[in-house]
Amino acid sequence: KLQSSISDPMTSPPPQLRSQVIALYKNLLYMGRDYPKGYAYFRDRLKSVFLKNSGVKDPDQIKVLIGRGEFVIKELEALYMLRKYRALKHRYYEKDEATTSATTSSSDKEAPTKTQ
Amino acid sequence: TAAPTNILSALGTIAPHRCYGHGVEMTRHMLNERVLLVLRLFDKINPDKLTLESQFAKDLGLDSLDHVELIMAVEDEFGFEIPDQDAERLRSPEDIVQYLCDKLDVFD
Repeated sequence: KLQSSISDPMTSPPPQLRSQVIALYKNLLYMGRDYPKGYAYFRDRLKSVFLKNSGVKDPDQIKVLIGRGEFVIKELEALYMLRKYRALKHRYYEKDEATTSATTSSSDKEAPTKTQ
Repeated sequence: TAAPTNILSALGTIAPHRCYGHGVEMTRHMLNERVLLVLRLFDKINPDKLTLESQFAKDLGLDSLDHVELIMAVEDEFGFEIPDQDAERLRSPEDIVQYLCDKLDVFD
């Protein structure tokens, strides 16, 4: 929707969608700076996902994809808040066996799943 | 004062300044150097092909997503945000330097 839409004047989606996509990409890059697995890893995966969807021309479909991107941003925010909470808890509180076993079972998730 | 500008051109990214004091004296030459340094450090750009006039999309083979990242690097270097509609007009290092000159009131 980025490169292909510029070259094709007939069926290209409205330009404000394009600027929304660029703004989304920029926001995701800013979020990716704190990513636990590293900025480069995040950036490469993000770019490949965007490039994979770059052929989409239908405006509704594009809006759905933008919505997905914004969901990923929310997930990242939640991930970072959780990490901060855990870091502080680890620093200032004694380890309690009951709560540790209860909270570390399912969540050693590292990444919100980026589907598509 | 000659000494501070020499240190700046050697270190590139450190721009010492006091709040409310006069900012660093910027010249067009210094802006050229800083922008080219930032671009050379960008991993998607081949430093051998980089000149002031080289176009990002045509000569250096960057796509629009790389362009976004590149503008972010310039924003980080100079400490202010560049809005997306201005950013999409910046298609070569020369455009970037000219834009910075306009924003930072550098006249030479």
